Amino acid sequence: MALPITYNVRNVFIRWRATLATILGVALVVAVYVLIQSMAAGLEKSSQNTGDPRNVMIVRKGSTAESSSQVKREQFKLIEYLPGIALDAKGRPLVSGDVVVLITLPRRANAGEANVMLRGISPAGIALRPQVELVEGRWFTPGKREIVVSRRLAARFANFEVGGRFKTGGKELNVVGITDGHNTAFDSEIWMDADEARSVFDRENYSSVLVRSASPEAAKAIADRVESDKRLPLRAMLETEYYASQTMTAVPIRILGKFLAFAMSIGAVFAAMNTMYASVGSRTREIGTLRVLGYRRRAILVSFLIEGAFLAFLGGALGCLISLPMHGYAIGTFNMQSFSETVFQFRITPLLVVKGLVFSVIVGLVGSLLPAMRAARLPVISALKSV
Amino acid sequence: MTIGTFILKNALRNKRRATLSILSVAVSLFLLTTLLVALRELTVPPEGEGAALRVIVRSKVSIANSLPARQRPIIERIPGVEAVSPFSWFGGQFKDEEATTFGQFAVDPRTFKKIFVEGKISPEAYQLFETDRQACIVGRITADKYKFKPGDRISLASTIYPVTLEFKIAGIYSGSVDDRNLFFNDKYLNESIGDPGEVGTWWIKVRSADDMPHVISAINHAFENTADEVRAESERAFQLSFISMMGNIKLFIGSICTVVVFTLILVAASTMSMAIRERFRELAVLKALGFRRRELFTFILAESFGLAMFGALLGVGGAYCLYTFGNIAHMTNGIFITSEVTPKILGAGFLVASSLGIISAIAPAIAVARMSVVNGLKTLD
Repeated sequence: MALPITYNVRNVFIRWRATLATILGVALVVAVYVLIQSMAAGLEKSSQNTGDPRNVMIVRKGSTAESSSQVKREQFKLIEYLPGIALDAKGRPLVSGDVVVLITLPRRANAGEANVMLRGISPAGIALRPQVELVEGRWFTPGKREIVVSRRLAARFANFEVGGRFKTGGKELNVVGITDGHNTAFDSEIWMDADEARSVFDRENYSSVLVRSASPEAAKAIADRVESDKRLPLRAMLETEYYASQTMTAVPIRILGKFLAFAMSIGAVFAAMNTMYASVGSRTREIGTLRVLGYRRRAILVSFLIEGAFLAFLGGALGCLISLPMHGYAIGTFNMQSFSETVFQFRITPLLVVKGLVFSVIVGLVGSLLPAMRAARLPVISALKSV
Repeated sequence: MTIGTFILKNALRNKRRATLSILSVAVSLFLLTTLLVALRELTVPPEGEGAALRVIVRSKVSIANSLPARQRPIIERIPGVEAVSPFSWFGGQFKDEEATTFGQFAVDPRTFKKIFVEGKISPEAYQLFETDRQACIVGRITADKYKFKPGDRISLASTIYPVTLEFKIAGIYSGSVDDRNLFFNDKYLNESIGDPGEVGTWWIKVRSADDMPHVISAINHAFENTADEVRAESERAFQLSFISMMGNIKLFIGSICTVVVFTLILVAASTMSMAIRERFRELAVLKALGFRRRELFTFILAESFGLAMFGALLGVGGAYCLYTFGNIAHMTNGIFITSEVTPKILGAGFLVASSLGIISAIAPAIAVARMSVVNGLKTLD
C-alpha cells in the first residue's frame, strides 16, 4: 500500500524553512534555463515568422546570406519575365530587386556602434512584404535619399526617428517613417529605394530578388525553374524557407542554456539531497512507526521520492513564474549569419515551461534518490528507538 | 581537545552533509569562474605581440563593404607605414560543413611576414607560401583539428565570393594569439574572380608606436570625401568595436553570474543553518557550561567559513588547473583559445566564497544567540 500523497505535501510545507531554500535554489536554476532557452526560441521564431509562402527569394549560388550575395542586373531582367509571376493592379510584375548593405551606425546613449542591415527595395518591395506596416511618418519616395526604420531598431540606434538624419557612404540619409515588422526578421532592417541605395553605396548589382507568384505551388515552380536555368547561377527558394534557415545564431545560445542548466543543476541536486537527508534524519522515528504500521520499504522509498520531486516541482513552477515577466521583452544581439544587429523577443513557450518543470522534477528525483533509499533501509527497531 | 579540533570535528561530524555542502559550493564556484573566464575571453581580446604596431583599415560604411585595391599605393606612401597587405575575409566552408569554422584571409605574402610578426613558421614553408600562388599557411589549432599537414590539398567554398578554391598547405604556423586562421595569396583569389580590384580591409604595420596616431589620421584623411571613405584604427580598437557589436554581453553574463552566486549563497546558508539547528541542544549545553555568545559565534563562523573555503579551493582551484593546464582550444573545438584565469578572477572567486562563509553563519548565529539555555536543552529535533 502506498502512503497518501497528502502526507508528502504536508511534510514539504511543515518543514518550510529548510525546504524554502531548496525550492528557491531549484527555481533559480529553472528560471535561468527557461530564460536563456526563451531567447533562442524568440530568435528562431522571428526568423520563422518571416516571409510569405507565395514569395520566392533568389540569391547567388553559394552565398549563405543576402548581404554577401550578388544578382546581376541582366539576371534580374531575366527573372522579371519568368512565367507565373503575379502582377499588380497596373499589370506590372511583382518583383523586387533588393540591395542589402550593412552599415555601421552609433547606438543610442553612446553605447558603441553596431551593424544595421539596410535594404534597398524596388517599388513592388513593400507590397511583397505585407508583414511590414508603417506606423509613423510616411514611406520613402523612390529617387530620394529617404529611409524608413523599424520601430525596434529606432529604440536602439541614434537618429532613428522621423526627421532624424545620419551620414553613411559619404551621403546623408533622412528618416521619414517608422515601420513595425510584427516580430519578423524585418524588425531588424531599415529600408530605402533600391536604385537610390545602389547609387549611394556604389553597387552595380542587386543582392537578392524577391518574386511573388500566384500561389505557393506556383512559387515552387518558379524556384525550380530558376534553379534549373543554366543562364542563372542562382539559388532560388521559398522566402519562408530562406528565413527558417537563418537561425544559426540561436545555436550557441541553446548550448549555453543547456550547459548552465546542467552545471547549476548539480548544485541544486546537492541542495535537494541535503534537505532530503535532513528530512529523513529528523523523521527516523516516524519512518519506524510507519514500518511497524505495515508500510513496506518500497512504499517509504516511493514516498520520499515523491516528496523530493514535489519539492523540486514547486521550485520549477516558481522558476517559470519568475521568468514569465520577461516574455515579450525585446533584446538585440549580433547575428552571425546576417552580420548585423538582430532584434527579437524573449518567447516563453508552453513547451519550454513543460521542459522546465520536467527538468525540475528530474533534479528532485535525483536529489532524493539516495535519501529515500536510506529511509527505506532503516532498521525498524533502532529507528523506533531513536530520539 | 583544543578549540580548533573541536570545530573541525563538528564540521566533519556529518560527513555526508559536509561533503555535499563542499561539493555544491565547489560546483557553483567552478561555474562562476568559468563564466568569468568566458566573459573575459569575449570582452578582452587577446593582445598579440605585433598588435601594438598594427592598424586596420576598413570601409567607413561597414566592415562588410569592400575597399578599392587602388588605395594601396596611397597608404604605402604615408610616412611611418612599414608594410601594407590586403586582408580579405574569404568565409570558406570546408567540405560538408554548414558554417565557416575558421577564418581564412587573402593576404599579400610578400608583406604579410612583416605585419604578422608573431606567427612562427619555418622559412622554407614561408618561401613556398610566397612562391606558389595556390599555397596557404594554416594555424596550429585548425591544423590539429582537421589533421592537416604540409602538402595537403584542401578546397574551400566561399560564402563571400562566387568561387570554390583549392589550396596547397605550405606550412603550419603557431605562436600567435589566435592560431586558428588560414592565410592565402590574394592574387589567387583575384585571378579566380576576374580581378574586380577590391579588397576587404587593409592590414598595416607602422614603424613605431609613436607613428601610430599620425598614420591613422593620415589614412583617414587621405580618403576623406572620396567614394570610399575609410576608418583606420589600431588593431586593439578594431577588436573592441567588434565586441561592442555583440551588444550588452557583459550585462548578460553578469546577470547569470549574479544568479549563480545568489543560488549558491541560498543553498549554502540553508545547509549551514540546518547543521546548526540539528545541534541546538549541544550549543545549549555549551552555553550552560559558560561559553559566551561570542565564542559560540566563532565556532559557527569558523565552521561555515572553513567549509566555504574548502569548496572554493576545489571549485576555483579546479577551474584554474583545468583552464591553465588543459588544452581548452582543443576541448572547445577552437572556440575559446586563451581562457586565462587571471588573479582578478581568482580573487573574485575567493571573495565570493568568504562572503558566503560569513553570510551563512549569520542566521544560525543569531538563532543561537537568542536561544535561552532552557529552551535549547528541551529541543528534541
